[in-house]
Amino acid sequence: MEVRLERLSKHFGSVVAVDDLTLHIKSGEFVALLGPSGCGKTTTLLMLAGIYRPTGGEIWFGDRLVNDVLPKDRNIGMVFQSYALYPHMTVFENITFPLKLKKVPKEVMREKAQRVADMMQIGHLMDRRPAQLSGGQQQRVALARALVKEPDILLFDEPLSNLDAKLRLTMRGEIKRLQHDLDITSIYVTHDQVEAMTMADRIAVLRDGRLQAFATPDELYNRPRNLFVAGFIGSPPMNFLNARLTAQNGQAIVEGNGFRITLPEDLGRKALSQAQREEVIYGIRPEHIRLDPDGEVEAEIYVIEPLGREDLLDCRLPDGTLLGVLVPSGHGVKIGEKVRLKFQLDHSQLFDPHTEQSLLWN
Amino acid sequence: MAQQTVVAERAALQVEPSWRARLRAITTPAFFIGPALLLILIFFFIPVILTILISLTDMSVATISDINFVGLKNYERIWRSRTTMKILKNTFIYVGFTLTLFNVGMALILSLITTHIPERVGTTFRTFWLLPRITPSVIYAIMWTWFTADAPYGIVNQFLSPFGITPKNWLNAQPWLVVIAANGFVGTSFGMIIFTSAIHAIPVDYLRAALVDGASTLQRIRYVILPMIRWPILFVVTYQTLSLLASFEYILLLTDGGPGFYTTEVWSLYAYHRALSNYFGNVQFGFGAALAAILVIIGVIASVVYLRVFRFSEMVAEPKIEVL
Amino acid sequence: MAEHAGSRIGQIILGIIVLLLSMPLLVMYIWLVESAFSQITYGIIPQGFTLSNWRFLWEGFTNMPSIWRITWNTLVFAVVVATIEVFIASLTGYALSRMKFPGRRMFLSLTLVLHAFPAVTLLIAIFYVLLVLGLYDTLVGVIMVKAALELPLGVWIMKGFFDNISWDMEMSALIDGCSRLRTWWEILLPNIRPGIAALSIFAFLSGWSEFLLPYIYTSSFENFTLSVLLRRLVGDFRFVDYGLLTATGLYYMMPVLLFFIFTQEYLLNIYAGGTKGTTV
Ligand SMILES: Nc1ncnc2c1ncn2[C@@H]1O[C@H](COP(=O)(O)OP(=O)(O)OP(=O)(O)O)[C@@H](O)[C@H]1O
Ligand SMILES: [Mg+2]
Repeated sequence: MEVRLERLSKHFGSVVAVDDLTLHIKSGEFVALLGPSGCGKTTTLLMLAGIYRPTGGEIWFGDRLVNDVLPKDRNIGMVFQSYALYPHMTVFENITFPLKLKKVPKEVMREKAQRVADMMQIGHLMDRRPAQLSGGQQQRVALARALVKEPDILLFDEPLSNLDAKLRLTMRGEIKRLQHDLDITSIYVTHDQVEAMTMADRIAVLRDGRLQAFATPDELYNRPRNLFVAGFIGSPPMNFLNARLTAQNGQAIVEGNGFRITLPEDLGRKALSQAQREEVIYGIRPEHIRLDPDGEVEAEIYVIEPLGREDLLDCRLPDGTLLGVLVPSGHGVKIGEKVRLKFQLDHSQLFDPHTEQSLLWN
Repeated sequence: MAQQTVVAERAALQVEPSWRARLRAITTPAFFIGPALLLILIFFFIPVILTILISLTDMSVATISDINFVGLKNYERIWRSRTTMKILKNTFIYVGFTLTLFNVGMALILSLITTHIPERVGTTFRTFWLLPRITPSVIYAIMWTWFTADAPYGIVNQFLSPFGITPKNWLNAQPWLVVIAANGFVGTSFGMIIFTSAIHAIPVDYLRAALVDGASTLQRIRYVILPMIRWPILFVVTYQTLSLLASFEYILLLTDGGPGFYTTEVWSLYAYHRALSNYFGNVQFGFGAALAAILVIIGVIASVVYLRVFRFSEMVAEPKIEVL
Repeated sequence: MAEHAGSRIGQIILGIIVLLLSMPLLVMYIWLVESAFSQITYGIIPQGFTLSNWRFLWEGFTNMPSIWRITWNTLVFAVVVATIEVFIASLTGYALSRMKFPGRRMFLSLTLVLHAFPAVTLLIAIFYVLLVLGLYDTLVGVIMVKAALELPLGVWIMKGFFDNISWDMEMSALIDGCSRLRTWWEILLPNIRPGIAALSIFAFLSGWSEFLLPYIYTSSFENFTLSVLLRRLVGDFRFVDYGLLTATGLYYMMPVLLFFIFTQEYLLNIYAGGTKGTTV
């Protein structure tokens, strides 16, 4: 089922929770809604579910305008962060509840329930009550309940955030696999960008109710269209440096306090043609900086944060700016040591400090 | 300019709800609150208006077939009547003493004590004090009658005679004492519960701080607890004043306004006697309704004031589901 | 808090004080029980155990309807009042807690105003309402009045119970295919069962004990309830047969005592719940 949000907005009194949101989701696509807390993700989802009535705009399921359609007539499945299982029903009753409401015959109901339950590996828990299940099992029941009615659309509201890290990893994979196999259009709300990056076909990044970007994970990571997306996607986050962009001998030179680099030719051409002014914000991800005696930037090691396989070095530039650098452990440098840093220039990003738009990808 | 076009475009995107959705928005809530609305209409709204209407007529057993509109004449009669003063005085005695001695006084003492002894014991006592409230009023009245009966039966006399006090029927000798105590022992629980939960809600840190400062228990009550529960106290005072003003059940059962002539007759009982109990043969509906109407109006004003003062409406959260 | 409350001796003294304050009540209830099984009591000292006070159970009262008929009336009155009250209050409480509709805030305020409003002052006018409806001197009429007068408190308490139920669960039910009515019935109500039980008990006891309404609005023998019967007995038997009176009273009080002993925590909760919203 194809889903289209057309200029959707939602106001709560004076609070604008969702503002003029347009999103076209393809049939069978897995889309993540990503953004910081309070940016309007849940609100968007609940409008899709029919729980909230949009203040403005339209919601289309295929060629059906559903603004006025009741939740029960939308044929969606939804999984909540709190699981929202019915405590007074057994697992079996929970799973079959949507079917019971559809007046599906008993035998069919039983068979379907057994099938999804087996798929979710909870077939042996059918007679228990939610209170007697672990968090992960409850999550599976919630998922089974959402799947059993063979919905056109699946909605997830941070379904994994109450699980422990290991289980979250397993469930992440399972949900992704299930969605792929069943080919159900899915919208998945999360504020965990790793989750969004690993699971989604495309990610819609929201901020204060406005859409910041809607693109594939790869594009968001490599070609962020604005400063917010660049800073929000990627962990540890991208480094930003104030700089000046000038053309010298046909080359694009980026110059800041204590560093001076020459952009690769194609990036440089784009940047120069887009730039409105000399001031720019130069962005480079920590994983795209190396320790290298030939590096163009001099810095002092300020803090070392071991992350296991890698260490995150906070390096201080002469003007005091801190720069995150991700290097394999075993590098041998110490706090206070002076080092030189080499940027992988083809991963450079440039933004206009006023419009916050990318100078490379618009 | 640009701003305006945006607004115009947005307005164009406002999707009007369909007529079905609109209908649903009326019928669904109507179904849920309809029955309650109906009962409230029949047994609250209409009676309020009716009370006032009847109070403007000369309706009585004698005039039942020929009812006349008499304007404020009934109110004039209340104003003129010498009985009114007596009734008013009685009402003040009843409300004033019951409220201060029991509904607030005893309630405060009980809640303070039961929060300063082991929790289980405290709860047991508080629960016990609820018993009069759920005891049928008729039985409760019988117990008090016996409690205060003349020798050789009365329990009070039995306890007091060793102190050289002459046995008597206390209900006849000191009707106010008994009426106030009987009402008070029921009324105490309301304030007790509210005060207790208010005391429990005081952050333990405040109490600890007072303890660290070297405050004695009494000082702590005086300077920490009482100031922190002054709103609940005010609430109980106002709320219970209103309830007491309107209540007459226990007085009716204990003394029925006696002994003698209007000794313990309070305003609401007087209204009841005049309008509904053919005690004097001639039931005066109009006059009784006027007496009641005065209470009704006090009640309406007071309840509206509550709403304002205690800001009930601010505690109302918005529902999270918008579809109906 | 108790642990900060000074010395042990202090606590014992406080305990004794509260015991003394409660003494009149204690003594009265003790007397009620012992008197029902005694030939006579002097003060609180009973004389001669007997069961003859209970002869009304098989002999009935002279010039009164049978005790069983009266008990039945009282039971019907209390049960029906409780059922109506709980049913309507749970409908309305749900709407007020969980539905968005115009006038919701007003209706909520109204509930609170009525909760504070002294309904007793309306007895005279309600008398006429019943006359007009043709319900004077019928149990149905008294039942409706009682249910209506108790309704605001019931609605308020029910709303409180609904307020505590997770929104996710109800959203989930709507998405699973429920209408609002069905969510109310299948999802919400089962999850506030303790609340419903508490309010039912409360409403039942309140109906069971009601005196004024049946006393004022009924007059025929066949509509007698236990409270009206006892009131009549007091008139007939004053200072004559307290044994019989207290036995009847104790009989009348039985359900109250049972509930009191076995459902104390409900009682405290409901009273606290009924006043909770209004304490701030
Ligand atoms: N029912 C409501 N009434 C009023 N304001 C609301 C309501 N629901 C959400 N909001 C507001 O709308 C904005 C968006 O909220 P929303 O719940 O959609 O955020 P979110 O992106 O899901 O955040 P989180 O990651 O914390 O769940 C917030 O500012 C929130 O305070
Ligand atoms: Mg959310």
